[in-house]
Amino acid sequence: MTLHAQVRTQLGSLRLDCDLSVESDVTVAVLGPNGAGKTTLLRIVAGLTPVDEGRVEVDGTVFEDTATRTWLTPEARRVGFVFQDHGLFPHLSVLDNVAFGLRARGVDRATARARANEWLERVDLTRHVASRPSALSGGESQRAALARALVTDPEVLLLDEPLAAVDASGRLELRRSLRRHLSTFKGVRLVVTHDPLEAASLAERVVILEDGRITQEGPFADVSSRPRSAWIARMAGLNLLRGVVSDGTMVVDDGSRLTVATGIQGPALATIQPRAVALYRQAPEGSPRNVLRCTVTGVDPEGDRWRIRLEGPLPLVAEVTPAAAAELSLAEGGEVFAVVKATEIDVYAL
Amino acid sequence: MTRGVTRRPLIGLVIPAAVAVLFIALPLIGLLAHVDWSNLPSQLVSTDVLTALRLSLECSLIAVAVALLIGVPLAYILARTTVPGRRVIRGLVTLPLVLPPVVGGIALQTAFGTTTPIGTVLHHLFGIVLPFSTAGAAMAEAFVGFPFLVITVEAGLRQRDDHFEEVAATLGARPWRRFWRVTLPLAAPSIAAGAALCWARALGEFGATITFAGSFPGTTETLPIAAYSSFEGSGQIGQAITLSLLLLAISVLVLVVLRDRWLGALR
Repeated sequence: MTLHAQVRTQLGSLRLDCDLSVESDVTVAVLGPNGAGKTTLLRIVAGLTPVDEGRVEVDGTVFEDTATRTWLTPEARRVGFVFQDHGLFPHLSVLDNVAFGLRARGVDRATARARANEWLERVDLTRHVASRPSALSGGESQRAALARALVTDPEVLLLDEPLAAVDASGRLELRRSLRRHLSTFKGVRLVVTHDPLEAASLAERVVILEDGRITQEGPFADVSSRPRSAWIARMAGLNLLRGVVSDGTMVVDDGSRLTVATGIQGPALATIQPRAVALYRQAPEGSPRNVLRCTVTGVDPEGDRWRIRLEGPLPLVAEVTPAAAAELSLAEGGEVFAVVKATEIDVYAL
Repeated sequence: MTRGVTRRPLIGLVIPAAVAVLFIALPLIGLLAHVDWSNLPSQLVSTDVLTALRLSLECSLIAVAVALLIGVPLAYILARTTVPGRRVIRGLVTLPLVLPPVVGGIALQTAFGTTTPIGTVLHHLFGIVLPFSTAGAAMAEAFVGFPFLVITVEAGLRQRDDHFEEVAATLGARPWRRFWRVTLPLAAPSIAAGAALCWARALGEFGATITFAGSFPGTTETLPIAAYSSFEGSGQIGQAITLSLLLLAISVLVLVVLRDRWLGALR
């Protein structure tokens, strides 16, 4: 299943101009700063915002095509939308919220409730079946909204900043359950977020949207190690590693090992700020635990901070001052030792 | 929070403020002072009072039903769509709020009177005569009361944008289902408040009703009109006071019920 969206539209001061293709085999995150048009893009796919010019299509079903004046109403599109504020109806119980889409599509009350109940069980909300949405925590209401969007078996699932309305303490668990539900969903999955970590942990592919345009797309590791814009470099331009942690050692997916300072055990995501990667001509002595022998594969001068791309046991990006770069006589093909303190590696459980 | 500077109010403002309170309170006190409490129960259940009360309830409830039927859709259109001339329509609808009721009654007479085109058609084709009939009294009350409903419901609808309607659309709900299952239930508090205000206004309606429908006991002589007739015409001050007390009690009741609601919906 594939979603194609070619969109050219003016909304206030924002000019949204992008071509997006999303395959159903991976979860795709649209990542970008606030006001870049991310939510608008989702609203266009759902049919809540019309476009000036463009075409939206899912597997041959044309949702919208300005060339042929085709337009499917939102209710006729098989799209599940989890809104940023979750949008649970305050006047209905959690059960009736989840059953709403089925009832709207002509399923009888008993069947709709039974299927809604099944979904509430899957998202672990059985004890809140009769509650009003106002009684739910941020995480619970997010799960209820997800169940409500998925119960009608849509072709496309849209999530707008899924973790934004959830407090930090519930985020980890929610991210985990969200990943699980996203992985079992068979249709097109499109997540919008401004948080690189969220994009990296929920999606296999990221699309960077800045000021209404797609500036880069690909696997997160590629985008973050070769950022093509200042925003990505600043926000997402961090070293991101996936692996498994046990007793303070992380075995990265490519087999290399890092010493980390964390109590987390099991699958995890680690991030290292480029400026936390120190470079030396010779292997340093002393306390640093992570010393990696690397080859310089790229030098990107960017103002007073130069980004140095390295290949070695791990692909890494370091950030150094121009003076330090000169002192180390860094050049492509040269050899350096990259040092990362265990405490400079942020680890997130997956 | 009152700040220190304004905690002690200016004495020059306290006096007119106190006058304002007395201005409202004294007439009410006067009314209560003149109630013949010993004969009140028997007066309340007298045929005249009961007839006027029944008629008043009948007319005012019909007026509210009519207002709901046409006022809620209008409020929805005004709040949620961009039909051209919305401002003009809104001004037109609120006009009966400030229009002298007598003018409303005369206007109704000139539009629906027996000799007018509409009145003639209604009479000859359907056998309906509005002026000086119970239906006419209800119509006059609806005319004066329904702006309250429209304004309150429109404010209630505006309080929320159409976000939940959008959510419902993405869940597959067609426009009518969205209206019945989402828009209306969410607007229910403001609809209830608007209906109560409209009902209170209809119940107290005098000018438009007496002009358009006259004052025939049992047909168009509602509570306020009966109070006026006994006060002015037959000189039965006692009965006028009893009827006034009844209306006052109903007004207070509406106010208590709406204490938070109606302010909430308008804010």
